[in-house]
Amino acid sequence: MANRSPQPYQPRINNSSSSSSYSSHSDSTQSKIPKASNQIYSNKTSSSSSKTGEFSCRIENSYYEDGDQEPPNLIGTCPFMCPLEERQRRERLRDLAVFERLHGNHAKTSPALAVKKFCRTISSKDMKASDVRPVPVLEDTLNYLLDLLHSSDHPFDVVHDFIFDRTRSIRQDLSMQNVVSDQVIHMYERMVKFHIISYHHLHRSSQTPNTASMSHLNLEQLMKALTTLFSLYEVNRASHSASQNEAEFFSLYLLLHLSPDNQVEPLSLWFRRIPSPVMESRAMSFTRRILRYYRLGNYKRFISTTEEEASYLQYCIVEPYISEVRKLALSCISYGGYKLQPYPVEHLSKILMMKESDVEALSVDCALETSDVGTGKGLVSSKQAVINKTSKEYKKYYELDSSRIRRFVFPVNISASTYIKLNAMAAASGKCLAK
Amino acid sequence: MAAYISMGEAHRRITEYLTRFSDAISSQDGKSLSRLLSVSSDSPALLSLADALNTFQDASRVIRQSERFSQYGDILLHLFRALQSYRLENLVESYMAFEKASNAIVQEFRNWETAWALEALYVIAYEIRILAERADMELASKGKTPEKLKGAGSFLMKVFGVLAGKGPKRVGALYVTCQLFKIYFKLGTVHLCRSVIRSIETARIFDFEEFPVRDKVTYMYYTGRLEVYNENFLAADHKLSYALTHCCTKKEANIRMILKYLVPVKLSIGILPKASLLEKFNLNEYKDVVLALKRGDLRLLRHALEEHEDRFLRSGVYLVLEKLELQVYQRLVKKIYIIQKERDLNRAHQIKLDVIVKALRWLDIDMDVDEVECIMAILIYKNLMKGYFAHKSKVVVVSKQDPFPKLNGKPVNA
Repeated sequence: MANRSPQPYQPRINNSSSSSSYSSHSDSTQSKIPKASNQIYSNKTSSSSSKTGEFSCRIENSYYEDGDQEPPNLIGTCPFMCPLEERQRRERLRDLAVFERLHGNHAKTSPALAVKKFCRTISSKDMKASDVRPVPVLEDTLNYLLDLLHSSDHPFDVVHDFIFDRTRSIRQDLSMQNVVSDQVIHMYERMVKFHIISYHHLHRSSQTPNTASMSHLNLEQLMKALTTLFSLYEVNRASHSASQNEAEFFSLYLLLHLSPDNQVEPLSLWFRRIPSPVMESRAMSFTRRILRYYRLGNYKRFISTTEEEASYLQYCIVEPYISEVRKLALSCISYGGYKLQPYPVEHLSKILMMKESDVEALSVDCALETSDVGTGKGLVSSKQAVINKTSKEYKKYYELDSSRIRRFVFPVNISASTYIKLNAMAAASGKCLAK
Repeated sequence: MAAYISMGEAHRRITEYLTRFSDAISSQDGKSLSRLLSVSSDSPALLSLADALNTFQDASRVIRQSERFSQYGDILLHLFRALQSYRLENLVESYMAFEKASNAIVQEFRNWETAWALEALYVIAYEIRILAERADMELASKGKTPEKLKGAGSFLMKVFGVLAGKGPKRVGALYVTCQLFKIYFKLGTVHLCRSVIRSIETARIFDFEEFPVRDKVTYMYYTGRLEVYNENFLAADHKLSYALTHCCTKKEANIRMILKYLVPVKLSIGILPKASLLEKFNLNEYKDVVLALKRGDLRLLRHALEEHEDRFLRSGVYLVLEKLELQVYQRLVKKIYIIQKERDLNRAHQIKLDVIVKALRWLDIDMDVDEVECIMAILIYKNLMKGYFAHKSKVVVVSKQDPFPKLNGKPVNA
């Protein structure tokens, strides 16, 4: 695999507030969202608020003296990926991630390598502008981090952990500064994409307690970032037309909630909030069909439609459901199939889009029998067949036998961030990249 | 806007209100008190008072003049502000003032021993919600984030807490709960209903039967709707049916609201409403859905869903109705079976998949034999059909006894 060293980070030097690239009050192309709720600042986490992404409004021109007047919006001035103070502190404490170490030295870093860590307990009053990175710096930081995604020197876990934490810090800096702009929206979109790619990777990797907890945390942050993104879309909608990518991100949310177990807010209610241009989009049309097939148990169309139409990101989320749907298919066929004629594995491999040997392996995983039927193997029917849902093998995923999907899953010799940038939301037909 | 009134007249009106207010409290007259608090009612009395306040401008002086009034100074000052702002169409100011006034009243309420002031409390709960809704509209129109309704929800939770105790005041809790439901449903934050439902249903403070019928009906309506959204059809059926049977028969609009949710629930458990019911309560959007189920007409179901998509999505029953497809398939196969029985009784129970493909094609639905087999497999698996399918011969063989079991009040197996 390519051993690209990440592009060195060049800090932005001119950080005077007169620079036009900074968000400023007078910049008419950007709007401010009302101050974010104090979720991030206080130690308390009210899960209901963060899930619906609600913001509280500053009370202006009020007759009443409200003790809880929010401080004015912060504008960051830190020109580096990591504030100077923190960098020096962490050098002293030898608290440097492997990517931040200069020549592997546990106690030395540089402005090109150090990235601000996420800090759980920060109150907005204690925050200094010099500790907060302004939007252009945050964007450069994000570019740097996403480039790292393809750095293969280190195992995926390690890379994921680092980017997970540092992008969380980026989101923290962004929300403190309270800006809504196309640039910020695009940053959130890219961070959501990172979480989705991680989601996919983590689901495929062996299920240790460690990956299980990484998976859970990743999903949690994915949802938070996605919820914030939706709020940004909504604020932006008032002043601009809808973002082009909005439809895909709504579809991703829906795909994450196909199963009733995953739903905090009932889907039926969530549907009411979808803006009509999004509803009419191709991404949503695909996703609603997938939802219907899932709910009805139409395993054939669920799999074939996914194979035909899912975009890369949509596929990342749907993949775990494919295993589930295949098992449903085997259950149904085993339950209702003619006892004297085992169902041909060859045909199963066609409708479930998997290699024949994988069909056999999956049957074994599900404690179902196959037998020889002259022309090949067949799935034996048994109304008593009980599929053991708790076995470890049960979670194994078998590749979707499709050249289109294979191109998604094994991108060759390109940096992930380029991949991410290029794999734009436009075609749900799953345009893949040329080498 | 306000007609011209003299300072003297203004003073008179203010004093009159203050007198009524303190009299209502001292004589424990809940009804009179409640009338003095309904800011949004646009009653002539309150409107004329508001004009007087806007003219006089220094009502606090009048309040301070007499001990009888000043003891309620906290309440009255904010209440006056609420009325004034309302009259001047500053809804945000009005809400904020009213919330402060309500807070002060609730503090007094705690000290009043009997439940005489419950009716006034109901008015407060109602007004808090209504004024908050209008304040949010004002905020949204100015491009700001609406958040007053959310605050109203927090306030009413506090009021709920005050009522959740021993003693006669607790019968008021269900009314406040219903106001909370309305708020949470409007905001889309229905998960917040959970804690208050738990308090009503499982905490030992309340006896559900003690509550007024009107509140019980409203409560069951909202909790029934929640069950619909969570697809717990048996619970939804129970609650919405309760609401229906206890709802006053004259309130046709309310009955319609209940039926709007009950009909999809009943359909999901295999019970079809009569066309006359749908007509009587103007629920014609369900007409074609019911017909599709009766006929096994998949095209008609899909068409009905498309035609009324917006309405079904808005009320939140779209996904429930979409799932009825399985029952429509069941009916279609059953019809084929019945036709075959008329031609050849002995072989009717063997249905060629190709015949089903053809039948669907007549309905302009394009499904290949693999997908039909998949649907048959699902129907059998979920016990909508008894029998088996033979892949090689491309045939489904239904059981000779009860091949298409009715749902009979139970939802389709998950």
